[in-house]
Amino acid sequence: MAVVLDGLVYGLQLGLLAVGLTLLYGLGGVLNLAHGQLAVIAAISTALLLDAGLPAGVAAVIGILGVGMLGLILDRTLMVPVYRRRGGERVLLGLLLTLGAAFTIDGLLVWRYPVQALTLSIGGGGVDVLGVHMRSGSLLASAIAVAAGVALTGFLRFTRTGRAVRSVIQDEAGAQLVGIDTGAMRSLIMALSAMLAGIVAITQSMTVGVTATSGLGFTILALIVTVVGGLGSVSGALLAGVLLGIVNALSSFYIGAYLTSIILLTAAAGTIVLRPTGLLGRAP
Amino acid sequence: MSGAWRAYLPVAVVGLLLAAVPLFAGHSRYLMGLAVGTLVFACYGVGLNVIFGSTGQLFLCLGALAGMAGYGSAILSDRGGWPLILALPVAAAAAAGLGGLFSWIAVRRGLDVIFVGIVTLAFSLGFGNLLLGQRDLTGGETGIVVEAGAGTFLRGEVPPYYLFLLVLVVFLMGYRGIQRSSMGWAFRALRDDPEAAELAGIDVARYRIRAGLIGSAMVGLAGGLYAHVEGFVSPTTYAFQHVDVRTLVVLAFGGIGSLLGPIVGAVAFGVLDELLRGLGQLRTAVYGVALIALFLGFRSGVVPVVSGMARKLHRRRPAPARPARRPAMHRRRRPG
Repeated sequence: MAVVLDGLVYGLQLGLLAVGLTLLYGLGGVLNLAHGQLAVIAAISTALLLDAGLPAGVAAVIGILGVGMLGLILDRTLMVPVYRRRGGERVLLGLLLTLGAAFTIDGLLVWRYPVQALTLSIGGGGVDVLGVHMRSGSLLASAIAVAAGVALTGFLRFTRTGRAVRSVIQDEAGAQLVGIDTGAMRSLIMALSAMLAGIVAITQSMTVGVTATSGLGFTILALIVTVVGGLGSVSGALLAGVLLGIVNALSSFYIGAYLTSIILLTAAAGTIVLRPTGLLGRAP
Repeated sequence: MSGAWRAYLPVAVVGLLLAAVPLFAGHSRYLMGLAVGTLVFACYGVGLNVIFGSTGQLFLCLGALAGMAGYGSAILSDRGGWPLILALPVAAAAAAGLGGLFSWIAVRRGLDVIFVGIVTLAFSLGFGNLLLGQRDLTGGETGIVVEAGAGTFLRGEVPPYYLFLLVLVVFLMGYRGIQRSSMGWAFRALRDDPEAAELAGIDVARYRIRAGLIGSAMVGLAGGLYAHVEGFVSPTTYAFQHVDVRTLVVLAFGGIGSLLGPIVGAVAFGVLDELLRGLGQLRTAVYGVALIALFLGFRSGVVPVVSGMARKLHRRRPAPARPARRPAMHRRRRPG
């Protein structure tokens, strides 16, 4: 039971990580391979701010806002030539350029902060949930993840801007025809997805440390969850995140941590072979 | 007959030029090591050229494929007692089979470049974790010493260089042969416009799978051989950050789809890598920037640009107009 709860907490985070990726893909057909690196930037800058003596909450907020800004800058510079192209060429160039960005960020981080790791320790012992002892760190992490997930769903469902975003996902040309600025929506979502990634990295650090080299792992996990949930489907990503989080916790408890990634990979490969649109994806 | 001879001439010339390298660098074990590394990346580059350059399948698991052959061959020969001459081809064939399987899945399910990228990238991670997890077999993070090949010419200073040069020349001959065969025509047609190629009666699926098989076999063979020459393999030898990004930069610099591109790219990259040695980890960042810059600004690569200029100088008149590489397809796709 404790294992399942742990998996649930982890899964919520995985879901949030994948939501940003899936939204961005749905909007413009660009799969951001630097997603995990953005998450790591938020974690490292939070760690640096903590070292500078700021309280944890303030440091985390600055870290998240900062990576959101970086996402915006990337969208307005690196992504401009990508969005100028269409169809398969846009997809390919998007993959290659974000891969380049991922390596650039990775190299800079590992070079500058080879040993910097963010580990937030939340005070207080633990709480009993459903008769299971939970660390307060993972409780806070899941509370933040749930809050962010609810806020995001609310934003997409009930605000005018959120609806505009969804309309672009459904039909880019149609959205343009009714006067929606698709470029602005993409910038907004890029910043938002970077901030979500930042939140995930920071909440992760409450249970396990995040280091400069964690980026690629984050990206690949997000990719797997995105694929299983269905590319472009927000609720699919959240559902798949929770599902895979629980699978991950169970298999690393009973089988072993290293083979777990093989199981997750099999899940992704199986989804692609059996049901390429994912759990909740729309039929192409 | 003379046409066929001329088609393979560039490979022969470059092969002879590279064969002269040990005359200048043969005295130094360090320089020969660098030269061997350069040739290995040129081999990976030819493999990626077949997969990505010919049929547009973005494989992000070259390191994992090479590693599969490297570890496979080392384990088969050291633990299984297989002779090296048998273990290496079997391991390379396994890598080729896996690459072909990726292509097959992608083709069967009609997946586009994005799914191929995701599946192969996820496989890279899975393979890396498998290496770390199967500690008794792979030695985990520390890696394993490869016994097979020790005491033979494989561990010399100059012989491995010639061995890899031979492999590279064979790969390039093969690549040229493919270009000149009906398969090459099919590759060009389906790279320019898969739908039109399909309509013209080309079995796009079969050619994509063939490209995946052949390219992965090349990567596997080079990676497997490297394990026996180095005498040591560890997860970093075949890490995604190490192999895949470099091969992409090598290929992008030399020119995707060009015959000699991988060599030019690998040599330039080898020199650059050596110059930047002092930067340490910052090198990865430099390669990232290079990848972005190359794919943004210089998409056709060095070799096509230079050979185009040479042709113009040679003829002293405008080169014949080439057909645009990407015809009407994208215009047609535009909505409205």
